[in-house]
Amino acid sequence: MVGEKRRSTSKNLAKNKKRKGPHLPNSILKTIANEKRPLNSDEEDDEIDSDDANVDLYEYEEGVPEEESRKNNRYDPVVNYDYELPEDFEDENVESDDDDEGGNSDNEEGEGDVVRHTRMLQAVTGMPSAAFDGESKRKPVLFTEAYPESEFNPTRDVLEGKGLLTIDDFMAPIEGKPGFNDLQKRISRMQKDTQAVVHAPLPKPERERLERKAVKGLVDKEFNKWVHMVKRNREAPTVYFNQNVSLGYSTVGAIASEFQPRTDFEKKMASVLNDNELGEAHDEDGAKLLELNEVSVEDHIKYRDHIAKMRSLLFRHELKSKRIKKIKSKTYHRLKGKDLKKSAMGALMDPEMAKEEAMKQEARRVEERMTLKHKNTGKWAKRMISRGLNVKYDGTRAAISEQLQINATLSRKMNSTNDGSSSDESDDEEELNDGSDQDTPSKLIAKAREKTLKTVEDDEVPNSGLLSLPFMARAMKKKNEEAIEEAKRALEEYEEWENSGGEENSKKTADVSGRRVFGATAKVEAPKESRKDSDNFYDNSDSDNDMEGIENNDLRAVRDTASPVRNTGAITETEFDDDIENPASKTTFDVALFASGSWKKMKGCQNAETKKKTKKHVPYSKSQDKKESRDEESEDSESEAEQMVDGILTSASKETYEIPSQAELIQRAFAGDDVVDEFEKEKQEVLNQEVPEPEKPVLVPGWGQWTNIQKKRGLPSWMVREHEDAKKKRTLDLKTRKDARLRHVIISEKVDKKAEKLHTTTLPFPYTSKEVFEHSMRMPIGPEFNPATIVGSLNRPEVVKKAGVIIKPLKFEEANPNEKVDDEHPRSNQKQNPKKGGKTGKGQRKGKSKQKTKA
Amino acid sequence: MKIKTLSRSVDEYTRERSQDLQRVFHNFDPSLRPMEKAVEYKRALTAAKLEKIFARPFVGAMDGHRDGVSCMAKNPNYLKGIFSASMDGDIRLWDISSRRTVCQFPGHQGAVRGLTVSTDGNVLVSCGTDCTVRLWKVPRPTLEDSSVSSENFIEPAAEYVWKNAFWAVDHQFEGELFATAGAQLEIWNHNRASPVQSFQWGTDSVISVRFNPGEPDILATSASDRSITIYDLRMSSAARRIIMMTKTNSIAWNPMEPMNLTAANEDGSCYSFDGRKMDEAKCVHKDHVSAVMDIDFSPTGREFVTGSYDRSVRIFPYNGGHSREIYHTKRMQRVFCVKYSCDATYVLSGSDDTNLRLWKAKASEQLGVILPREQKKHEYNEAVKNRYKHLPEVKRIVRHRHLPKPIYKALGIIRTVNDSKRRKEDRRRAHSAPGTIVTKPLRQRRIIKEVE
Repeated sequence: MVGEKRRSTSKNLAKNKKRKGPHLPNSILKTIANEKRPLNSDEEDDEIDSDDANVDLYEYEEGVPEEESRKNNRYDPVVNYDYELPEDFEDENVESDDDDEGGNSDNEEGEGDVVRHTRMLQAVTGMPSAAFDGESKRKPVLFTEAYPESEFNPTRDVLEGKGLLTIDDFMAPIEGKPGFNDLQKRISRMQKDTQAVVHAPLPKPERERLERKAVKGLVDKEFNKWVHMVKRNREAPTVYFNQNVSLGYSTVGAIASEFQPRTDFEKKMASVLNDNELGEAHDEDGAKLLELNEVSVEDHIKYRDHIAKMRSLLFRHELKSKRIKKIKSKTYHRLKGKDLKKSAMGALMDPEMAKEEAMKQEARRVEERMTLKHKNTGKWAKRMISRGLNVKYDGTRAAISEQLQINATLSRKMNSTNDGSSSDESDDEEELNDGSDQDTPSKLIAKAREKTLKTVEDDEVPNSGLLSLPFMARAMKKKNEEAIEEAKRALEEYEEWENSGGEENSKKTADVSGRRVFGATAKVEAPKESRKDSDNFYDNSDSDNDMEGIENNDLRAVRDTASPVRNTGAITETEFDDDIENPASKTTFDVALFASGSWKKMKGCQNAETKKKTKKHVPYSKSQDKKESRDEESEDSESEAEQMVDGILTSASKETYEIPSQAELIQRAFAGDDVVDEFEKEKQEVLNQEVPEPEKPVLVPGWGQWTNIQKKRGLPSWMVREHEDAKKKRTLDLKTRKDARLRHVIISEKVDKKAEKLHTTTLPFPYTSKEVFEHSMRMPIGPEFNPATIVGSLNRPEVVKKAGVIIKPLKFEEANPNEKVDDEHPRSNQKQNPKKGGKTGKGQRKGKSKQKTKA
Repeated sequence: MKIKTLSRSVDEYTRERSQDLQRVFHNFDPSLRPMEKAVEYKRALTAAKLEKIFARPFVGAMDGHRDGVSCMAKNPNYLKGIFSASMDGDIRLWDISSRRTVCQFPGHQGAVRGLTVSTDGNVLVSCGTDCTVRLWKVPRPTLEDSSVSSENFIEPAAEYVWKNAFWAVDHQFEGELFATAGAQLEIWNHNRASPVQSFQWGTDSVISVRFNPGEPDILATSASDRSITIYDLRMSSAARRIIMMTKTNSIAWNPMEPMNLTAANEDGSCYSFDGRKMDEAKCVHKDHVSAVMDIDFSPTGREFVTGSYDRSVRIFPYNGGHSREIYHTKRMQRVFCVKYSCDATYVLSGSDDTNLRLWKAKASEQLGVILPREQKKHEYNEAVKNRYKHLPEVKRIVRHRHLPKPIYKALGIIRTVNDSKRRKEDRRRAHSAPGTIVTKPLRQRRIIKEVE
């Protein structure tokens, strides 16, 4: 190898360099060539050295060995390629090869070795020993190479960077020769000029790797600039594509505006439509346009005649009715009234007639009840029934049922007229009242009026005593006002009653009979009481009545009779008189009543009830003599209260009572219900339901029983076995239940298969908690459950695009967090988040200044 | 004093036009409507069922090629135009609406392996195994053309012969360059007869190339040494490369997320990568039972379509592990190429049976003009279905698909194999010291390494 190198000329060397060596500047190449030439011609040793130098130059150009390039992974990767000696290196080579020179572990001996070694080198190279001093000191060991030295297997010295030859080494032999100084100068200049020195480039794979690394960074940067847009798109609940692409006309109007008339017909139409005169006519007076809209003369005349006829008819009718209205004759009106009565309408309208009708009806009913004419009591009917003919023949049956029907209708009619009448007595009483003195109620009212007037006068008078005090007077006044108010209401009510028909009246009377009286009286009392205070209102009401027409006095009488009846069951005049005789007490009571308020009233009601119980035979009217009754009631109530107090007191004082223990109390309190037992039963039921008991095996009658033998054998063994197995299974199931050992708990283990369909077995992927998942389904999204304004945004799909429009790839936009969302997508503002809220706020923002970069 | 009265203003009840709907007023008090949830669940169920009823995805087939369709290209500027090329060197332009050939581009001697159209839709680039790259001028679409000329032949505008056969070609988005994949990756200009740039990393041939639609100078390739590489043209150098366990047949960039790409792998899965972190897939899309031959993203970036050697076309959500839809017919053979239409409404597939097939992207979508009320109804149905999609019954109905027998069986086998593998793994882990057996997550499992 060395010989080969020796033979290679410097030209060859230069050529080699050109082919694959590093690009050295020409000057260096030249100098090297110059230096080589003389050396080459001179000595073999120098030649070798120079060759070594060449090798040095070739080191880099040679390229990375295959192991290093890692191509195809044929070699294991080596972390540190250079071979380094460890700190405590002891080479076996020394021991094996350099035995004659002794182990290098021994220092003194080593010193001797070194000396000998340098001496040898000196002898070989002919160089001064100083040249080998440093090297020998540093490197006391000698390596022998396994392979001959070559460019693929350089010496260890070369690899370690030690023992390198320098220019001085080359210069030393030619020192003193002609041109040496010149050369020396040039070399020193070159050494100083560090910039001109070009380092050998890296090997290609290495270079490419570095390049790729740089590119990678750039590409990543390029990709990173898209991140904000991608993020925004991904987080947006809806992505819009091509929203601002116009697809042409969207409305009929837009299409029509572009219309150009082409055919003759179209042109004609256009000329008519665009006629200015026509337009003006329309704008100025629409009537002009009607000129065209002609009506035939005959039609017009016909229509006019018809209208005229109708008008004249109307006029005549008016005249006639005026004339009739003027007639003052009572007989005429009576006859007219009769006519009216005959008609059904009249019966309905006139309360008097209604009353008569009711009377008649009542008579019929009484008759029916007495005779029981239609209740199959007839001879014929009895016979029919006894012989069973009514079952046999349809006709007979129909006749009998018809009879029954008649009976029913008769009695029912009665009921309907006075609905709700609980007892016959009240009816009787009513009848009595109606029959005996119809005038009494009106009289009573008149009296009441007088009394109220009196009391009012009395009220106004009090000049001395407590009541004359100013605050009392004020209080009185206030209460008076209240009373007036109440009276007003009562009057209104009263008027209503008056206005409403007699039938209704009778109904009301019926309503208030019996127990419910007291509730009703409480209502009615106030107006009655107030009436005496407020005759004004009474008068008012009177006037109202006048307005409505007082002529039908009878009607009022009827109503008046009804009103007392309404208030109580019966009226006795004697009591009336009593009441009238002592009005003074009433006034005082009134005051008390006002003071005490509603409580008293209630009390009164209760007392009245008690009274009713005690003295049934002494009915009295509240409508007329409230005060009386009040007095009595209050007295009663007082007495009762006293009794009550007495009762309590006595009970407390007399009894010697031992306090029972808590447990006893509880036991006593819940004596009836056995909770524990009930629960156990309940649990057993649940258990039976969820783990049902196996059915007992039963032989189906007739099956397998046609011989006696089988009967004797009884149930087949497999049936019994199965039954036992099922029983065992049940007990096992019961034992394994969760609530098997918990006596007071029922844990249902029933699984509802239908309900299971409505549950997910596991939490779906994007959700992290059950609550969030359930929350996502909480609100409905349908148009029935949401206002129209938000339905669209609730139901919007993830991607909104238009079919038939090409979607371009994403265009780059600069992120601009300071700018608000622009209106590129008209709906994007609405859409902002039914679900995500403001979460994506920043990501949603969009730069208005769109920069379309095409890097 | 407050008086409660009924007041109805005429304005509220008056319609502007006679065709308008009468306004209906609702009381939205939830206490009045206790059954709303039940009602909506029922509606979701009905919507899911209706979706099944109306699912008729197959629109039509386009036949005319005399050999298997090897590749397709969509015209980015014209919705109705689709180019397809077959193994016998035939290139055709189809009109999707009429499903007929508009014109043919004869010239290639061998199979055409790559087709692409410039962004403006004027230049068609084709390359094939005959070592040529041909540029064609795309005829302008006119109304008359589509009806009459089925025998319209077009001469190539340019023909460049090169040293090696080509496997794929793709055009830069809004640029002048296109890239071919063959023995190495080469970048061409329309006007030069030889490539302007050439990349080689390793000695294996490149089998697919795809430009990034967002970043026009970045492109990704896959090579037969099972690698996926990203290049940057400006730096004229590769940026990243990963080696996977199996070959990647095709790559698609997400048009709405320029950093993301999805690779269609030979092992029947698709792998979505983030271009910045290739050592781990973002998502593994499994469902195909055989090699995925081609992939194309929807322009919305939310879905992609894949065609597989198992004779089926599937549509995946961009972030979902399983397919949303599977399309298959009895007559459809190995699918070599798929495309999503530019308006994200249709899907096209070209297969070995010489046919192109047109499918709806949403199987039950109502095509044509839809009235606003209909639209609202559809939206509501979708929303309700989406809300209750996790409930078992709805889920079952929505997921249900009829599969061809071979695919069904293959799925069963794959499942069995995976189960047994997992079992073995579990047992091994159970019987070894804790921590000694480390399982890679699925997303890294098929990636061998990232090459620097």
